[in-house]
Amino acid sequence: MAEFSKQLERLEAIVRRLESEDLDLDEALKLFEEGVERLRVAREQLAQAELKVKKVLEIESPS
Amino acid sequence: MVQPLDIFAAASAEGAWTVSEVTKRAKSVIEAGLPPLWIRGEITGFKAWRSGHWYFSLRDKSAQIRCVMFAKQNFRLPTPADGMQVFVFARPSMYEEKGEFQLTVMELLSTAEGGLWKLAFEKAKAALTKDGLLDPARKRRLPPFPRRIAVVTSPDGAALRDIQAVVGRRWPVAELIVVPAQVQGNKAEASVCSALNRISRLPVDVLIVARGGGSVEDLWAFNSERVARAVAAMPMPVISAIGHETDVSLCDLVADLRAPTPSAAAEAATPDRAEVLVKCGVLGQRLARALRIASRHVVERLDRAGDRLVRCMDHRLEVSGSRLTAYGSRLDALSPLKVLGRGYAVARDADGTVLKRVAQLPPGKEFQLRVTDGEVRGRVQ
Repeated sequence: MAEFSKQLERLEAIVRRLESEDLDLDEALKLFEEGVERLRVAREQLAQAELKVKKVLEIESPS
Repeated sequence: MVQPLDIFAAASAEGAWTVSEVTKRAKSVIEAGLPPLWIRGEITGFKAWRSGHWYFSLRDKSAQIRCVMFAKQNFRLPTPADGMQVFVFARPSMYEEKGEFQLTVMELLSTAEGGLWKLAFEKAKAALTKDGLLDPARKRRLPPFPRRIAVVTSPDGAALRDIQAVVGRRWPVAELIVVPAQVQGNKAEASVCSALNRISRLPVDVLIVARGGGSVEDLWAFNSERVARAVAAMPMPVISAIGHETDVSLCDLVADLRAPTPSAAAEAATPDRAEVLVKCGVLGQRLARALRIASRHVVERLDRAGDRLVRCMDHRLEVSGSRLTAYGSRLDALSPLKVLGRGYAVARDADGTVLKRVAQLPPGKEFQLRVTDGEVRGRVQ
């Protein structure tokens, strides 16, 4: 889940930025909103309850 | 007296054997006199035919015997080479078409340490090493949150069941793509390569190649150089779990990660969802806390402004309050009850009309009189 990985990385970056920098409130709020949204999406992605199993039939190699 | 043999008289069509009769007889004599047996010797003139049959001779210092080993007997074996010392278990017989004494080989074992397998393994390993395929620097990092996990294994083996159970428990968020392959027998090598080839064109984040335990012959496909090269060429990271922990296959060596069992491979391929959820929770808390801190000075200003507002209001209310008290006492002074307290009374008729004039009070008129502490009824006389 490449998207999930990115989601989490971005979220971590947002948290670190919010924690470490003196931001004006506008900017802090924007980051916060983005963080909350990414957290929501990440949780949604984790919500799939059951493993999907797909069988792919082997195709004969041309040799 | 012995009569000299008249060989010319004996040479008749009736008296002579045909070639076929002799070879046939020789075959039955050989097969009756020499049951299947173990023979030790050196391989020479080895040739593998397209049919898969092997032809070679076994020799020692003074003799040699033609040998054939058919494909159905040799498919599990790595290919031997000339000069190799071997034991064969073989049925001595006659190859009638050529009139040759021959061994039909059913088993072939190398006498070298570890047998043929070991030799073939080392040879393939050396070739892979030479091409840099066993270089630890080639090992790729596994994706932390795989979305698609492919599995090459036997479709009905315990390995697949184990992998499915572990991934289902730890990371059900993923999709498991199972590409069945024959993992033993003479078609295993081609079947595994074909499955790998199929997966290399699919959007897959990580691949597990798995095979439960078995004999060295059973696991041979995963020691084939061809399979090892196919594994090394996969575009995504590969986890290999072949046989038991003690068996190390070539496939294990070229893979990005070697797992001791199929379950361990599945575990290595997946994060634990519960842990990831906890991590998300912690990030959420840090986010909220960071915002609180980032907005602290703004909140402080707001607080101060709020305090001032309250102080202003308090003042205003205080002023209004004292004015109200003043009004209150003035109102109190004007209250009719106060007037009644001073000894006045109010007369009202049954309708509540205040009776202020003589004309409103003819004789016999009933009225109610309100005094300071209650009411009394009365009548004009």
